[in-house]
Amino acid sequence: METLARIPQLLVYGVVSGSILSLGGIGVSLTYSVLGFSNFAHGDIMALGAYLALALLPAASALGISGRPLGALSFGADFVGALLLAVVATCAVVLTLDRILFRRLRNAGRITLMIASVGVALGLRSLIQFCWGPQPQYYSAKIQRAQVIPGLGVKIKPDQIFIVATAIGLTLLLHLFLRHTRIGKAMRATADNAALARVTGINAERVIVWTWILGASLAAVAGILIGIENKFIMPELGWQLLLPIFAAVILGGLGNAYGAMVGGVVIGVCEEVSTAFLSTAYKPAVAFVILILMLLVRPTGILGRRG
Amino acid sequence: MSLLSVRDVHSGYGDMQILHGVDLDVNAEEVVTIIGPNGAGKSTLMKTIFGLLRLTRGQIEFEGREISGLSADRIVRLGLAYVPQVDNVFPSLTVRENLELGAFVDRHAPRRRVDRVYELFPALRPRQTKRVGTMSGGERQMVAMGRALMLDPKLLMLDEPSAALAPNLAATIFDRISAVNQGGTAVLIVEQNAKESLRRSHRGYVLAAGRKCFEDEGPAILANEDIGRLYLGGA
Repeated sequence: METLARIPQLLVYGVVSGSILSLGGIGVSLTYSVLGFSNFAHGDIMALGAYLALALLPAASALGISGRPLGALSFGADFVGALLLAVVATCAVVLTLDRILFRRLRNAGRITLMIASVGVALGLRSLIQFCWGPQPQYYSAKIQRAQVIPGLGVKIKPDQIFIVATAIGLTLLLHLFLRHTRIGKAMRATADNAALARVTGINAERVIVWTWILGASLAAVAGILIGIENKFIMPELGWQLLLPIFAAVILGGLGNAYGAMVGGVVIGVCEEVSTAFLSTAYKPAVAFVILILMLLVRPTGILGRRG
Repeated sequence: MSLLSVRDVHSGYGDMQILHGVDLDVNAEEVVTIIGPNGAGKSTLMKTIFGLLRLTRGQIEFEGREISGLSADRIVRLGLAYVPQVDNVFPSLTVRENLELGAFVDRHAPRRRVDRVYELFPALRPRQTKRVGTMSGGERQMVAMGRALMLDPKLLMLDEPSAALAPNLAATIFDRISAVNQGGTAVLIVEQNAKESLRRSHRGYVLAAGRKCFEDEGPAILANEDIGRLYLGGA
């Protein structure tokens, strides 16, 4: 009975971590559908964003943005400024990587690109260790008190509300972008049928640049949200998240951005709820089991196209 | 001067040479059909004209201007449009989105272009918010042609527009092709349903083994007994 009583609270934690996984998964899904390969560097791009936000915090303060905490949140407007700067900086790094590496491999096939992304992942992680060291870096030392949601009996911290709201907001923005902008439609067309997109006169390179910008931006934000939730970041942060993110993406249907959103929340909730019955050490295994079950039962994913 | 002029074109896939010197002309406002057995290089010729396959020898000129080596978006801007035989729609996009993307290279293209396509294919208008992937073969072919017509091309290239369509649907598609042509657009068709296509063409070419082997007026090709026996499935 006591186990079951914990489940509502675990659902809340699951939605929080799931919304972060969703943001990461969308980027993986976009890269897969437009560029045609599984980007194993995506987790480390998230970590890079998280570290850059920390590094750019003084810059945001220098711009005169106040560091006073925003309402009940553990951080101030200067941190939001640093977040935006980190998003821009992460995009710049990723676009540079595309220019000097991925672009040369455009026609090399998806296995080559995937292996190249593993190289990028190792490179980024080493770079992070080189610049900031292997020890954890702290986002905030303050203890934040969780607040009880009246009527539901579950607790949530203001920072966690910020995380979920940010994830929902960005997902909506992305949806509007893909639905209604010229380049968003061109991205969906390229994902659908790259050869026809070319015949239609859609400039593939421009679509690719936008794909990296969207993927890297969401990755950077996801990395920063992890820092907010955990209070600290480590160089391995991205690598550790890669498995649940890929599980989320495959669960939702590889190459389907909306599927990645759903898959992220499902994986997050399953991981957290499993801790009511299993040791927390099994969390990564839960993602793995869901991934394998999904591949056995419905390999195209929840929202994936059949055939 | 012809609208499209293809001279001594050699091309293929990688090391595999398919076309061994093809000559072909399409004049303004003309309908031209290419027939020939499977593997003759008909689709290869279409892809080569549109710059999807590399030209190893020869020239392709559009309105007197060399177009080989140009990127696809430049070719579209010059007034060519191409409908591949298969995978010629964006299945997860709606009818309207498919059509709008046809005008992608011209961001100032007036919105009423979509309405003109609906006038040509009235069946599409009530279905404009449907995903094309859920639609029938005939409707997809209409969407594919509509997409290609969005920028009012000077030359429309169609690869087997009636393949896999029921006879009455194929007739509708050919009617629409004639209507497009009457609006002043030249049409180059590769067809297996060669009789119907030749009947409606000003001129036709027979392509075999990567070479042009015959050229005449459309009805004359239909009347030619040798061609009939060899390529049109008997009398």
